[in-house]
Amino acid sequence: MMENAWLIPLFPLLSFLILLLIGKRLREASAYVGILLTLASLVFSILVLFERFTEPTYITKFDWLTIGDLHLTAGFEVNQLNALMLFIVSLVSFLVHTYSKGYMHGDERFPVFYAYLGLFTFAMLGLVISPNLLQTYIFWELVGVGSFLLIGFYFYKEEAKAAAKKAFIMTRIGDVGLFIGMILIFWQTKSFEYSEIFRAVEAGAVSQTMITLTAILIFIGAVGKSGQFPLHTWLPDAMEGPTPVSALIHAATMVAAGVYLVAALFPLFQASQTALLTVATIGAFTAIFAASIGLVQTDIKRVLAYSTVSQLGYMMLALGSAGYVAGVFHLMTHAFFKALLFLAAGSVIHAVHTQNIEEMGGLWKKLKFTGPLFLIGTLAISGVPGLSGFFSKDEILVAAWEGGHPVLFLLALIAAFFTAFYMFRLFFLVFTGEARGEQKHVHESPSLMTLPMLVLGVLAIIGGYVNTPWFGSFLGDWLVDGNEALGHGHIEGPAWIMIAATVVSLLGIYLAWLIYGKRSVARDWLSGAGGTLHTILLNKYYVDEFYQLIVVNFVKGFSYFLRFIDVFLVEGIVKGVAGFVQGLGITGSKMQNGQVQTYGAVAFIGLAVLAVIFALTGGYLK
Amino acid sequence: MNLSWVLTTLVFSPLLGIVVLAFMPKTQEKAIKFVGFLATLPALALALAAYAHYLAGKKLSDFTIGHEWIQFRGMSGDAPIFSVYYELGLSGFQLLLVVLTAVVATLAAIAARYVKKEWKGYFMLFLLLEVGMLGVFTAENLILFFIFFEITLIPTFFLIGKWGYFEKEKAAYSFLIYNGLGSAVLLIVIMILFAKTGTTNIDLLTKIMADPSAPLSGDLKLGLLISLLIAFGVKLPIFPLHSWMLKVHVQAPPSVVMIHSGILLKIGAYGLIRFGMGIFPAQFETLATLIAILGVINLLYGAFLAFIQSDFKMVLAYSSISHMGIVLIGLAAMNEAGIQGAIFQVVSHGLISALLFFLVGVLYERTDTSLIENLGGIAKGMPIAAGFLLAGAMASLGLPGMSGFVSEFMAFLGLFKELPWLAAVGTIGIIMTAAYLLRAVLGMTFGKAHREFIGFVDLKGVEFVPVVVLTALIVLIGVYPSVLSSPLQATLETIMLGLGG
Repeated sequence: MMENAWLIPLFPLLSFLILLLIGKRLREASAYVGILLTLASLVFSILVLFERFTEPTYITKFDWLTIGDLHLTAGFEVNQLNALMLFIVSLVSFLVHTYSKGYMHGDERFPVFYAYLGLFTFAMLGLVISPNLLQTYIFWELVGVGSFLLIGFYFYKEEAKAAAKKAFIMTRIGDVGLFIGMILIFWQTKSFEYSEIFRAVEAGAVSQTMITLTAILIFIGAVGKSGQFPLHTWLPDAMEGPTPVSALIHAATMVAAGVYLVAALFPLFQASQTALLTVATIGAFTAIFAASIGLVQTDIKRVLAYSTVSQLGYMMLALGSAGYVAGVFHLMTHAFFKALLFLAAGSVIHAVHTQNIEEMGGLWKKLKFTGPLFLIGTLAISGVPGLSGFFSKDEILVAAWEGGHPVLFLLALIAAFFTAFYMFRLFFLVFTGEARGEQKHVHESPSLMTLPMLVLGVLAIIGGYVNTPWFGSFLGDWLVDGNEALGHGHIEGPAWIMIAATVVSLLGIYLAWLIYGKRSVARDWLSGAGGTLHTILLNKYYVDEFYQLIVVNFVKGFSYFLRFIDVFLVEGIVKGVAGFVQGLGITGSKMQNGQVQTYGAVAFIGLAVLAVIFALTGGYLK
Repeated sequence: MNLSWVLTTLVFSPLLGIVVLAFMPKTQEKAIKFVGFLATLPALALALAAYAHYLAGKKLSDFTIGHEWIQFRGMSGDAPIFSVYYELGLSGFQLLLVVLTAVVATLAAIAARYVKKEWKGYFMLFLLLEVGMLGVFTAENLILFFIFFEITLIPTFFLIGKWGYFEKEKAAYSFLIYNGLGSAVLLIVIMILFAKTGTTNIDLLTKIMADPSAPLSGDLKLGLLISLLIAFGVKLPIFPLHSWMLKVHVQAPPSVVMIHSGILLKIGAYGLIRFGMGIFPAQFETLATLIAILGVINLLYGAFLAFIQSDFKMVLAYSSISHMGIVLIGLAAMNEAGIQGAIFQVVSHGLISALLFFLVGVLYERTDTSLIENLGGIAKGMPIAAGFLLAGAMASLGLPGMSGFVSEFMAFLGLFKELPWLAAVGTIGIIMTAAYLLRAVLGMTFGKAHREFIGFVDLKGVEFVPVVVLTALIVLIGVYPSVLSSPLQATLETIMLGLGG
């Protein structure tokens, strides 16, 4: 089965091509093309995953581009991480394809939407089975385009246009880091193959400075894709895309690609303590930074977006603390519960036609399926014991503590408190209390939409039991099997960490309940205490404004400066040359004045000049 | 089988069209356009046949033709002192450029459907231009090269000056003056080489120059190379010799700009590679850093200026300057990756800019404008054209899976090996390219429509041919770069041998 894994990305590509050519004629039947072909990918992925449990890694490659003696290859690889990612991506993609049939019903560009979904899924699946850095980069950029197209799906909206552009350019800034890092490591190791790079690093063929430099450059690429600080600002704006897209791309799969990249190159990062520390610090900072913004946002999707940024920070923290398993584990559980939350949020938006949580309220009774499912997701992300998020978050906290980063550990713990608080704030505001906005014809979504949510809901509950301190770390042992460099399958940590995490999470929920559920504490208790703080958070620490002020204006200013050069200096030289020629002509014509004396003088001077040249050079150019 | 007739037929086949056109009445617009289009087909067929010949594993040297042509005899002797041969030939590199020329010429002939007046004159000049371009890329000696080079200048001058937009005369004169000066410098170089060595055959010259006992001092060679850099720098163009091409890009009719941006600019790159690097490898090496710096300047200068243009044609014009910077970057690396990247960029940019300028023609035909602001939101009325425009922009900004990425990647791969810091500065261009292209293209296609685009006809009928063919080629090269790289390996080996690598 594994030798046929290359088919997995090709099914969605086929869907993209079919829908591009005949989607218009198929209309909403386009959905079936997409759904069936991603189902094929899912089935293949499951088969591949099960086979990988028992079989060794499969890798194959062929020459893609020849440059003199250099042979750059392309191919595919099925190792543990790849097999797991194939499963996650094709599962979420399939569910989102199904869900969208209901959500996008009636949109006039329905087939285009499915075509783009196919393109994105193709690129994402291609990304996770790439056996080398160059191929990873190729698909890395292609997922970016898929994301760009889907963010800009409502292209006639100015906000969507701006968000799509921003997403593309911000991630490209990161991608250039990856691009440079990739090329530098190539000239050090003469290969883009992961295995070759690791071999060279292990053999000490690459200097320590170079390892640190390339690892950090590659990490910059991950920062851009995974919305880590300071390149995070595009991700919340990306919520302009249709909600199923946010679930697929901006929660479960593409934004996790940065985490995947660091995981895939883990041996390189492990070779440099500086690089690991950078990853951990950026991760922990992003986790708390984004969580704090999430506390005050009022758009349901934006709260979830900041939560995504924050959770991705957690994963980076795990990887940076040498917790390979913890990072990958959280990537998986997060994919389940965050996709669930987004799909549930989509279902809410579908019902009430607004994204502002201040206008919602009291939906628990009206949305009989969505409500409980949203609650499951909220409990999972908040780290309530028993659900998937609890186990993976615990692994991360243990990894951070055992990795020797007490400060980062503390940040992560506070971020966990924030997470529980803002998620339950969201839950209480949306589902409990009285309806605050106009709510006409609120109805539960069709089963096409609730069934995918149900699947994710089940996974959000049980997904964590593959790797627990109580029932064995099956996932962790399997992930590091045959590759000790990745660390242990399970990191032992003190028991109080788990208790602390639980307490912190319950405290967050309790506080949210006091304020938004029971309302025994005034809502402006926090914002009233620090009005400035509230404004800063509401404005997301003014990062966007800062970029606008510094970067955008600088680029524009510099461009106008160059235009000045172009218009005055370059054109000036041109005019100067033209003027010189003209002047020469005028002088020349003055000599044609009919006076023999002038002619004689000119002829004599000319002869003299020639004689001098001849005397100096002997008449030859050497 | 004797195949020496192929190249001569290939190069001069458009003349047949000129003859047929000469006998046609001026007023038959449709028939003239059709004949003009047909006349580009023999060259295309032969070029593709030559490529198939290569694919079949046969030698490209089968096509070589050499004939006595012009001779100067001394007073006494029988042996000619100076002789110029009629020599045409194909290497892998030349083959690619010939195919590119033939493809773009045919597609530009389709784009010439937007020409509004004096179709007969237009197509006669157009076909003459094609003869010149095909000749330039097949000529095996410098004199013949120069003659074909001049043949490209004159038709272009008239095509711009007569069929262009509002400031067409100014643009045409600007074109003529700059390129005239460039070819004057080129002529001087050729004459010095001819006088010193007695031959203008490129392969022979390459051999002679590699010989340390050659009758040219190192300083003279360096001087000649710098002159070549200026001569071809006008064509490419290299900053600050670029101002003429901005005018041409804006003022010339779309089908001429397709040719101009797609092929004519590439003569500069071709000349630099074949003559500059081929004949003067050692001197090229001393100038490598300078050329790399010029390349980075071109790349960034074009990119930053493209960011603030309000006319899409100007965006594309500066974008061409920027993209030609990548050619210089690749060449300056002086290693296989860099040179191959430069050559890829030549072909890739030829296809991409032809696609984008064709689409400009399509839009202008319907809206009478190419200003970004006026076009805002056009995706609503012309979704297919907007989609292809976005695809073209993606190709241009180096999206993997399309040709632009492969060339950009290799050029930077090459330069990072030699001059990593300069290359790192150059990567700012990668970000800026995305910024200015998305700003322009999204400004035209996305957003709120400023006016009703309903009733606008989307791409239709024959307009699909250039767009689909070019997009398909761009994707083909991006996905399967071996279509370009395998014919190039022999050329690359020769160049690397000259560089002593």
